[in-house]
Amino acid sequence: MTILLDVITTAAILFVVAAGLLAIFGVLKIINFAHGAWLTVGGYCAVATTGMGLNPWLALPVAFAVGSALGGITEVLVVRPLYRRPLDAILATWGLGIVVGQLITLWFGRDVQFTPNLLSGTINVFGLDYSFYRLFMVLAALVVGLGFAVLLEGTRLGLSARAVIMNETLARALGIDTAKVRLTTFMIGTGLTALAGVLLTPLTSVDPDMGLAWLIGAFMLVMVAGSSFGALAVACLVFGGAQTLVSTFVSPVLGGITVAVLCALVLRISPKGFARA
Amino acid sequence: MPESRLPNIRVWLLGALVVASLLMIAFGPVFLDRFALNVLSRSMIYAMLAVTVDLLWGYAGVLTFGQAAFFGIGAYATAMVLTHLGSSPELLLLAFVLAILVPLVLGVVVGWLSFGYGTTPLYATVISLVLPIVVTQVAFSGGQWTGSSSGLVGYATLPLSLAGYFRLTGICLLAVAAAAWIFVRSDAGKVLVAIRDNEARCAYLGLNASRIKIALTAVLAGVTGLAGFLFANASGVVAPENTGFVFGTELVIWTALGGRGTILGPVLGTIGIDYLSASLSGQLPFLWKLVVGALFVAMIILLPNGLAGLVGKILPRSKGSRGEGGPLRQAQVMQVPQDVVDKPPLLTIHDLGKSYGSLNVLQGINLTVQPGELVSLVGPNGAGKTTLMRCLSDGTESISGSVSVRGANIAGLAPDAIVALGVGRKFQVASVFDSLTVAECLRMARAARYRPSLVHSSQELDLPSAAVEILKLTALDGMLDRPVSALSHGLKQSLELTMVVALEPQLILLDEPTAGLTKTERMTIGTILKKLTGELGLAAILVEHDLDFVREISSRIVVLHQGQLVLDGTVQDVVNSELVKAIYSGGAHD
Repeated sequence: MTILLDVITTAAILFVVAAGLLAIFGVLKIINFAHGAWLTVGGYCAVATTGMGLNPWLALPVAFAVGSALGGITEVLVVRPLYRRPLDAILATWGLGIVVGQLITLWFGRDVQFTPNLLSGTINVFGLDYSFYRLFMVLAALVVGLGFAVLLEGTRLGLSARAVIMNETLARALGIDTAKVRLTTFMIGTGLTALAGVLLTPLTSVDPDMGLAWLIGAFMLVMVAGSSFGALAVACLVFGGAQTLVSTFVSPVLGGITVAVLCALVLRISPKGFARA
Repeated sequence: MPESRLPNIRVWLLGALVVASLLMIAFGPVFLDRFALNVLSRSMIYAMLAVTVDLLWGYAGVLTFGQAAFFGIGAYATAMVLTHLGSSPELLLLAFVLAILVPLVLGVVVGWLSFGYGTTPLYATVISLVLPIVVTQVAFSGGQWTGSSSGLVGYATLPLSLAGYFRLTGICLLAVAAAAWIFVRSDAGKVLVAIRDNEARCAYLGLNASRIKIALTAVLAGVTGLAGFLFANASGVVAPENTGFVFGTELVIWTALGGRGTILGPVLGTIGIDYLSASLSGQLPFLWKLVVGALFVAMIILLPNGLAGLVGKILPRSKGSRGEGGPLRQAQVMQVPQDVVDKPPLLTIHDLGKSYGSLNVLQGINLTVQPGELVSLVGPNGAGKTTLMRCLSDGTESISGSVSVRGANIAGLAPDAIVALGVGRKFQVASVFDSLTVAECLRMARAARYRPSLVHSSQELDLPSAAVEILKLTALDGMLDRPVSALSHGLKQSLELTMVVALEPQLILLDEPTAGLTKTERMTIGTILKKLTGELGLAAILVEHDLDFVREISSRIVVLHQGQLVLDGTVQDVVNSELVKAIYSGGAHD
């Protein structure tokens, strides 16, 4: 029973962490390797907010605002010139991640920072005491997933974004301002990633490299998911589940590479991954 | 064109550089302090790695972070032998062999995973990310064997002084850089660039790009393992971060800053940045990393070819060789005899069908083509002409029925294997290699037949007489040293046709070879095709919309309509057919 809860909550955490990367990859076809840095930025937003004595929950909107503002600058200065060179975009965003990481180090120092728990204690589920916060992450994942569903299906921006995903040339010919769609998507993606960074703080320590640990896992999941949030949810459940099982029954070290290895194998067999393209 | 009248600055510079590095290797230990010797030995080992990253990324176009993993494996193999078995000369030799062999074998496996037929370029990068992560975790969980997180330290190493290691790594770096420099200028080195430019065209020239990239990955993994052996000896410590993904990204950063696609750039970039890092990181560790990171981002965006690219622009270029140094090479054309054509039939299509889901694109196609025939395939848009061409040239397409070339069923064969059976395909949009010269493109067409040299750069160009004739007819013979990117659309089409003919095929598939050409260019292509089939006995299948052109050159016309073969006859039969008129006027939708 605990295993089942572990599987679901692990998948939820992975989903929250990878969602911002997927939004950007889905629409822009750019792999944002600064993803880890945006997570770290979110973590330090939590540190800064609580450092000023504010309510820790306030870190969520702050992180989203800071993340999307930085994302906007990044899209214009770094990503925009590289749309035709996707491999170079990986490298440039990776370099940007280094810069952001070093700026954070210069500002906050190298030490591990601690933030107060957003939700503490355990809750009784089916006769088991389980971490309240991990269960809260399931809710967060549902909110993020449904939020994107509403955004994509129900708004004008979503319609434009879907048009850009399907056929960018045609979308532009139809008068959709693809540059604006890209900018907005990138900002939402980075904002969401910074927000995910805040949500991670109760689960990991905050240090300048905290995002790096999540980057590869998120990247592999997005490769498998393509541009679909549904596929990402499935991938998180399947591979997050596998990770939990391997960590519990085989070894935590092997568990750490389960997601990456399994995703690589899936992509070898079916290059499109789980996406129904 | 005037040949190299100016003394070539590049050659002189290069010679001076080699002499300077030799002097540096020999006398460096005399005036450098311990710190500098130590750091530079390490930097030179890293520079060897940067050269391998550059060959994969800058030349073959495969962005890889995985060299760190092969390096770590070589270093760990060495340290493990020396720690657990001992350090007698025999065991040192064993460590040396294992440090190269283990990465080499793993390189074959990784290459096979990365470059299977039909995998995307991004997938190789994905694998190269996963590999160091896996290797690092293995090192972490290896317990006593790998020393876990603290790594292995305190084992006996090669009996060399600090100066000895400096000289050894210097000589190894010089050897690796020189070998790479010679290789990228050789005919085989050009194949890498051709694969980077246009992998599909390589496959349809009979080159197995996957196998070439697998071989490259494996060999470079071996070289990387050698660097790992040197590192394990020179530093006396091997730790998990030597094999990690972050180290892999650093290698790419050094390569990019120095200048991808050159050999000297990554070498100097790596030594410079690593040495500066070591010197400055004491005082301003984070600021220095910040500066390197910012420079890297700026470089990728503004100067994708790095510092070496900038220097390359400033230095005068040696004519015709696009900055390679060496005298102008005027390709000499020699004629080799055409293969004798086999007994008929050349091509047999039996009940061919192809469908995408419930949509039948082709149905029940039966067709036999004899040597000497020029068969035109006509039909309205969407009739399935291009699909049919693809089914004839790529056996991995899932089809029903069968296609045989010279009696051999092509089912399951990749394009390069079908080229080997004697089928050449020309694409609708001219598919050539934009970074190469005309002569180099043509040499690529011969590369599957005559294995290109790994060290030698050909001055001659051996072509079958038919290909020579096309060159003369299209005046391409006077532009052999011109870069392909400077050719007009029509000339690119002619060049691709020449490349296909240079394969010495027995059956040529042409998809709208005259699209977008002028009247004169069409006439030239028509003359060539008639000659190839009429006089030399090749067969050709031609997809064409221009019915006047078809009428003029074809020996037979096949009409395709809604995926079915509705008419197969002489020019007269087809031109006078009521059915064809009905199809083209849009009437015959049954």
